[in-house]
Amino acid sequence: MSALKQVHFPKTPEEAARLLARGDGVRCLAGGASLVAMMNLDLVDPDELVSLAEVAELKGIASLPDGGLRIGAMTRHRELETEARLAGPFAVLREAAGKVANPPVRNMGTIGGVVALADPAADYPSALVAADAVIELASERGRRRVPAREFFVGLYATALAPAEIVSAILLPPAAAGVGLYDKLARVAGDHAIVSVALAVTRRPRGDLGVGLAIGGCGLTPVHRAEADVLLAAGALGDAAARRAGELLAAAADPLNDVRASADYRRLAIPRMVTRAVARAREELGRLG
Amino acid sequence: MSVESLIGRSLPRLEVREKLTGRAQYTADLYRPGMLHGALVGSPHAHARIVSYDVRAARAAPGVRCVLTGDDFGDHRMGAFIKDEHAIAKGKVRYVGEPVVAIAAETEEQARAAALLVEVRYEELPAILTPEDALAPGAALVHEDLASYFKVFEAVCGGNVCSRTELAEGDLAQGWRESDLVVESEYRTPAQAHVSLEPCGALAEVDPAGRVTLWSANQSVFRIQASVCESLGLPMSRLRCLTPRVGAGFGNKMEAHIQPIVVQLALATGRPVKLILSREEDFEIVRTRHPFQIRVKTGVRNDGTFVAREVEVVADGGAYADDSPGVLGYSLLMARGPYRIPHTRCRGTLVYTNKLRAGAFRGFGNPQVSFATETQIDEIAARLGIDPVEIRRKNALGTDDRWFCGQRLGSIGLAECIAVAERESGWADRAKLASAPGKRRGLGFACTAHISGLLGTGAIVRLLEDGSVVLNTGAVDIGQGSDTVLTQICADALKIPLDRVSIASPDTDGSPYNWGTTASRVTYTTGRAVFAAAREVERQIKTHAAELLECAESDLELRPGGVVGIKGVPGKELPFVAISARAHWRKGGPIIGTNSWVFDQPTFDPKRAVAIGLPFPQIGVYSFGALCVEVEVDEITGKVDARRAWTVADVGRAINRASVEGQLEGAFAQGLGFALVEEVVWDGPRLANPTLMDYKVPTTLEVPYELHAHIVESPDPDGPFGAKGVGEIGINVVAAAVANAVAAATGVRLRQLPMTPERVLRGVLASQPGG
Ligand SMILES: Cc1cc2nc3c(=O)[nH]c(=O)nc-3n(C[C@H](O)[C@H](O)[C@H](O)COP(=O)(O)OP(=O)(O)OC[C@H]3O[C@@H](n4cnc5c(N)ncnc54)[C@H](O)[C@@H]3O)c2cc1C
Repeated sequence: MSALKQVHFPKTPEEAARLLARGDGVRCLAGGASLVAMMNLDLVDPDELVSLAEVAELKGIASLPDGGLRIGAMTRHRELETEARLAGPFAVLREAAGKVANPPVRNMGTIGGVVALADPAADYPSALVAADAVIELASERGRRRVPAREFFVGLYATALAPAEIVSAILLPPAAAGVGLYDKLARVAGDHAIVSVALAVTRRPRGDLGVGLAIGGCGLTPVHRAEADVLLAAGALGDAAARRAGELLAAAADPLNDVRASADYRRLAIPRMVTRAVARAREELGRLG
Repeated sequence: MSVESLIGRSLPRLEVREKLTGRAQYTADLYRPGMLHGALVGSPHAHARIVSYDVRAARAAPGVRCVLTGDDFGDHRMGAFIKDEHAIAKGKVRYVGEPVVAIAAETEEQARAAALLVEVRYEELPAILTPEDALAPGAALVHEDLASYFKVFEAVCGGNVCSRTELAEGDLAQGWRESDLVVESEYRTPAQAHVSLEPCGALAEVDPAGRVTLWSANQSVFRIQASVCESLGLPMSRLRCLTPRVGAGFGNKMEAHIQPIVVQLALATGRPVKLILSREEDFEIVRTRHPFQIRVKTGVRNDGTFVAREVEVVADGGAYADDSPGVLGYSLLMARGPYRIPHTRCRGTLVYTNKLRAGAFRGFGNPQVSFATETQIDEIAARLGIDPVEIRRKNALGTDDRWFCGQRLGSIGLAECIAVAERESGWADRAKLASAPGKRRGLGFACTAHISGLLGTGAIVRLLEDGSVVLNTGAVDIGQGSDTVLTQICADALKIPLDRVSIASPDTDGSPYNWGTTASRVTYTTGRAVFAAAREVERQIKTHAAELLECAESDLELRPGGVVGIKGVPGKELPFVAISARAHWRKGGPIIGTNSWVFDQPTFDPKRAVAIGLPFPQIGVYSFGALCVEVEVDEITGKVDARRAWTVADVGRAINRASVEGQLEGAFAQGLGFALVEEVVWDGPRLANPTLMDYKVPTTLEVPYELHAHIVESPDPDGPFGAKGVGEIGINVVAAAVANAVAAATGVRLRQLPMTPERVLRGVLASQPGG
């Protein structure tokens, strides 16, 4: 039987954080796509919920003065999927959003919810790591920023402290480049067997900045700076792609589960990376 | 006056508005005053002796009105073929999740909470989890008392063998001698879950006289009545079974699920009790498609003529026989396919294991064996350098041929099905198929046949005082549209508008017997009964009219709109209301047309064939089909996508075209799941994927947008308007055609389902030089 006694509707992130501090049985509610499903399955049984629905600051996508983007935690997958400003390397996030579950879930779920939940099978974490996004967190003590590459620490585990919420996702000023997200799943709407998130930036001097991360193959997104460097130095060539892919396959710690075997995932990673890199190279070529 | 016939049109479902507006009532929507809610306690063990129950805490829990264990049920067993199953586990548990204790409480939450308080002591027994375990010498027995169980057929059984069947025609040794090429391979198919939108559920209520009314999700009120009464030791007169709307049944709702338990809870409490399974329970305790291991050996001449075939099947039936002996026998009967192969022997062994029972599932064993036989034909064609369509055409059954074991064939539209699929798919130009970079495309072809039902059925057509009609058949419309089709048949036979016929909901008290909505049978068997009952009404109408119009009955005709008149004399006519009023109030009595019949054509001709352990002596007329699928294989991941498909079936006559197309399309989608993604996985004794998060079925995005259903009409001499069945035929060879297309695209021949990206990619890599 549900223990739920109260739902709060704070107006600011700080107020939300303060309400969360009331106790262990208090959880925040974003889109509810995961939380309500977990409550229905009796996996969690909160006493109180802190709805983020009325926290104005968490809504929408704002362009920052420096040219970067600030994505409010309550931004729905559907909004991101159709967001034209997610261009260049940040298209990785747009493509990932379009491949989350199915339209009903995309209309319901939020980026903040995915980031906070840190389901290892989710689509955004690898995309955010590839894009080198920064997660902004809010608590009664104020705001802090944690790079996505440090934020995801384990199975459903993040850098989020108790009584702290995800307030926004920050992206640096968009540079020219390409971003893409390739998801292999059994059927549309399923979680990834393997996903490849790739963000490539062409820096003003002409050299490349690369972010490559693998989803679905371990407790956290698989990312290795050496792989990024290899790809940049190798100008996204096939040989570099294969080596980067093999590096990530070795670094990955995939499971045997009903979606696929761990061996298959390790086999697929370099192959999918090579294809993603080739696609990025072509698209970059088309940019001139 | 000519009026458009109601037959052959794409009329909308009678209940379409009700369903689209969410007003349709399913079992879960029903409520009775004072109703309690049920919950089940499932076995944690695959195989164990029940030592004792401690239900004190559960009985004392808030809201609990009743806790029943196996001790509260008599020693009665049910089973369609072998009576091996109690209503609830008694003495022993035989699979993980098997209901051991049932609870009724004021609310569902209370019932489920109390279920957690039940303690059962078990003494574990060795778990038999595979057919190999089951057949090993000295294996623990799933059913120690198998020999003493009542069986409805001459079952060949013993140990953990639930039944063995052998069917043979010709002389195999001679067949191999006459063959130029012999190909032999082994195949495996997985358990598949039915995943009907509506999980199973039931609601039972005891009336003041002690008689029980049972509403449940089912495919046959009569099978449910029989199974519940058999398993509880009740006379059938004490139970009335009804059916609200059913959210699909693909075989999972044909035999009983939790109805006996719910009835026992209602009898024990004297109050109505409802129990609706959660999705997880529905996965864990109802039934699945049988996993099959199949060995097929086929001998052919160099010109492609089929000469001999040997098939060996091992089917995993799980813990209870259920419909399994039927599935095994039917699969063997289908293993020769719609071809002439003079020397054929098919043998099968059905084993008990400590897993969820397998049972009826759309195709009834045909999809499993057809995956093997129809892919092997492509291998043979490739070895001989013959076009896969040509080799099928060359060996296809013709009008003078018999089905394997000797049954006569009334109509065969197979050649036309092949021609349509070949033409529509552009088969001849398949070499020109262009593949996108990184992808490989290929076309695959396969043929099939399926029965159109068996066993008993009836219809009652009553003419009401105003000349409208009530049709009552007892056939459950499980969403496939039989209410609409049967109404069309009745209305057309009497030349009255559709809305002048109302169709009664199945009710064991008032409906004529109907074996069930299964085996693609309702249109063919019940349709025949409806047509004949309507003809009987026509005959009675004409008797009255002949007296009133002073003419011979043979001079009369039915005219559109519910009128009977003298042929060639436009003014001389009477409306049905005049006839019916006379019958009701003055002469003859109310007009009621009835018909009932049972399919009685023998399956097996002892002069032509040998059959041992055949579970069904008489089994329907045949529909035929052909399928062509175009797939795209991703070279990087091995993932297979179906891009286009042409599914063709000879249904005799399409009573409702849209419904026939819908059956072919739905069956294709379900077959695509079987081909590419679906598999019930056991992790040791336990299901690893009993949720829709983990068990995936194809979505609209997987089913090709270009899915073309084509209808061929080769009328059956006895079918209503020539109609034959279509419910299952569309699923039979989807996996085979997809596998053939994958082979065409990649050169890789897969013999195990589902064809996951992993299996395809490993196949491709292994076939590459240095791979
Ligand atoms: C059927 C289904 C399929 C799915 N498939 C996919 C998929 O393929 N790929 C994918 O990536 N995801 C998938 N998801 C997850 C989906 O993306 C969810 O939307 C997401 O995980 C949670 O977002 P939400 O806004 O609904 O969060 P909620 O369900 O409201 O919350 C989830 C958790 O995060 C916490 N939380 C939420 N917001 C914050 C915040 N701002 N700060 C701190 N904590 C917060 C909540 O307390 C809760 O613990 C699927 C979900 C469902 C139901």
